[in-house]
Amino acid sequence: MDFDFSDDQQQLRDAARRWVDKAYTFEHRRAAVNAGGFRRETYNALAELGLTALNVPEAHDGMGLGAVDAMVVMEEMGRGMVLEPLAQSLIAAKVLAQYGADAVQADWLPRIASGEALVVLAHQERRARYRLDQCESKAQQTPDGYTLTAHKSLVPAGDQADAFLVPALLNGTQALFLLERSAPGVTTRGYVTQDGSRAAELEAAHSPATLVTAEGLAALELAVDTGSAAVCAEAVGVMDQVLTITADYLNQRKQFGVAIASFQALRHRLADMKMQLELARSMSYYASLQLDQPADQRRRAIARARVQLGQSMRFVGQQAVQLHGGIGVTDEYIVSHQFKKLTQLEMTYGDSLHHLGEVSARMQATAGVGDT
Amino acid sequence: MDLAYTPEEQAFREEVRAWLNDHLDPALATKVREDQRLSRDDIQGWAKVLGKKGWLAYGWPQAFGGPGWGAVQKHVFAEELARAGAPGIVPFGPVMVAPVIMAFGTPEQQKRFLPGIASGEVWWSQGYSEPGSGSDLASVKTRAERQGDHYIVNGQKTWTTLGQHGDWMFNLVRTSNEGKPQTGISFLLLDMKSPGVTVRPIKLLDGECEVNEVFFDNVKVPADQLIGEENKGWTYAKHLLAHERTNIADVNRSKRELERLKRIAKQEGVWEDQRFRDQIALLEVDIVALEMLVLRVLSAEKSGKNSLDIAGLLKIKGSEIQQRYTELMMLAAGPYSLPFIEEAMAAGWQGDFPGGEVANAPLASRYFNMRKTTIYGGSNEVQRNIVAQTLLG
Repeated sequence: MDFDFSDDQQQLRDAARRWVDKAYTFEHRRAAVNAGGFRRETYNALAELGLTALNVPEAHDGMGLGAVDAMVVMEEMGRGMVLEPLAQSLIAAKVLAQYGADAVQADWLPRIASGEALVVLAHQERRARYRLDQCESKAQQTPDGYTLTAHKSLVPAGDQADAFLVPALLNGTQALFLLERSAPGVTTRGYVTQDGSRAAELEAAHSPATLVTAEGLAALELAVDTGSAAVCAEAVGVMDQVLTITADYLNQRKQFGVAIASFQALRHRLADMKMQLELARSMSYYASLQLDQPADQRRRAIARARVQLGQSMRFVGQQAVQLHGGIGVTDEYIVSHQFKKLTQLEMTYGDSLHHLGEVSARMQATAGVGDT
Repeated sequence: MDLAYTPEEQAFREEVRAWLNDHLDPALATKVREDQRLSRDDIQGWAKVLGKKGWLAYGWPQAFGGPGWGAVQKHVFAEELARAGAPGIVPFGPVMVAPVIMAFGTPEQQKRFLPGIASGEVWWSQGYSEPGSGSDLASVKTRAERQGDHYIVNGQKTWTTLGQHGDWMFNLVRTSNEGKPQTGISFLLLDMKSPGVTVRPIKLLDGECEVNEVFFDNVKVPADQLIGEENKGWTYAKHLLAHERTNIADVNRSKRELERLKRIAKQEGVWEDQRFRDQIALLEVDIVALEMLVLRVLSAEKSGKNSLDIAGLLKIKGSEIQQRYTELMMLAAGPYSLPFIEEAMAAGWQGDFPGGEVANAPLASRYFNMRKTTIYGGSNEVQRNIVAQTLLG
């Protein structure tokens, strides 16, 4: 039972934070949003820091670090509301390392680690909402391998990524494929999302693809749970920053001749925000610490964490805007962007109601942190 | 960072569990698990069993006869006690006054009072609140006037939990009206059998007399029962409040009661009702989140870093959860939580409870009782003030 960070983890955090403070100020970010929500040079800078290699095994030129290390870095990404999808490198590394054939791993993992290849999860379909077992995209075996016919939505940086992890039905069962954006028949259509980051529609028509695993659903669940743990950590980073900014504002802003921090109604609201932040941080730790557990235990833990995080994100985001008053609803000020970031994060890889349904369905006679 | 307990902590858990298996009377555990009313003998009998093993003083350092456990061991111990259905340890002696006596008492006072607390022989009560002093504790008016080698105490305390059973009482009393209200308070121990002490139980909304008024009419208290220095009592009281902060979250009992809520929901046919079940799921998430919060505080204590500013949150969340599970239990029983038959809330009642499920009898009473949790120990609004103070200055 130990919740201290190691010295190495502290150094990792410091390095990520220094980069955010220096290279990813709010002004930098605004420029990135205006540039379409994704800049490859920023992703390359994250790679140069070694962050895209975090969870890639050492055998494939990665750092071979774990879920808690990834969490530490994602908190800092949240602090800066970094648009470029570092979480996708965590997902791809985890899924390929666990499910990919040796040749696929050798082909892709070193390039993911170096940042040369941006590989993103492309699983969202129109009729699935947050259900992972719902899939209409189809794969076909051909003499040369496989082809995919698929339509996926909200693919992170989808018109800029180099390759996609795509679930598709193979003989009626979900399998997971790796599809290159340069493959014949692949088209993408990019757009911005709520928080200013970039996504795309992805369509593939009889496009050649590589089979990652026939255990597609299990691999997709791992991918989404890894993404969820990253969402939790990122949200904690955002909320931590929101609380600091809001506390400063309450102490500076004067109304009726006094700092508004002197009003108890506002003080109690901030205390409630602190409560939500610390519950969220606790459950973010819990999510990352359970990420390598057997699937049932992992899935239940992630769902629990996402219910807490969802409540916290909603409350902290909404109340931060409220406590700032008019300035809180302007585009000029950072808090409105943090609010939008939290709103999008809550709906990424399942919203709170979806995860509550998962917790509800998975309840056992006993419950606690020590559940197996 | 590691969620798992160490092998030593696991072994310790097994040791506690095995001992409880041998020493906790199953009939008593059933009473606790079913929320049937406990007598003084139920509570003190168990305290003496723990005392004989040396575990009633579970938070004490070895120098004072305690086991000298660390923060995580204490938590594991409390978790096993709750899990087994042991009656809660009445905290006023071993958890609250004892650390003050250890820190600020004279060696003679330590020798005189600590053994009786550790053994469970002497039942202590807390004399803090007064009719005019609730959250604003520094406004206490009960007066202690020094006359030779005695103090003469006059005034009134209230909300004295289980004071009807008390042998001794620790009190905040006013010894000076000079300066700030906090600077004129002293910490005085008194024998509740002293002439001039009157205890009057207060019947509460759940039908029980869990608290009391205590009146002092010219009570003569030897001056050697003053802890530390005169007018420094506020400092000692704060020390007491800072002690065992994770205790008040009571997450271990909440875990046990969540299990019970699920049993009741199944029994009453609402387990398959998605609307109801989702409410239980929300509570489950709350309890796991609170447990993580508690474990973070313990871990920080263990590693000595203790930079966490979250301890104040534990009381708020813990008390809200306690209220919520009792509320959901009552709602699960629905119309069959309406009969309020006091005799049926005791163990062994042979009557015919409406609906045929006597385990439903105490549910409403428990819900009513738990309204206290967001009021006592510094109301949750006061707790929010404290949290805000750390954030805003």
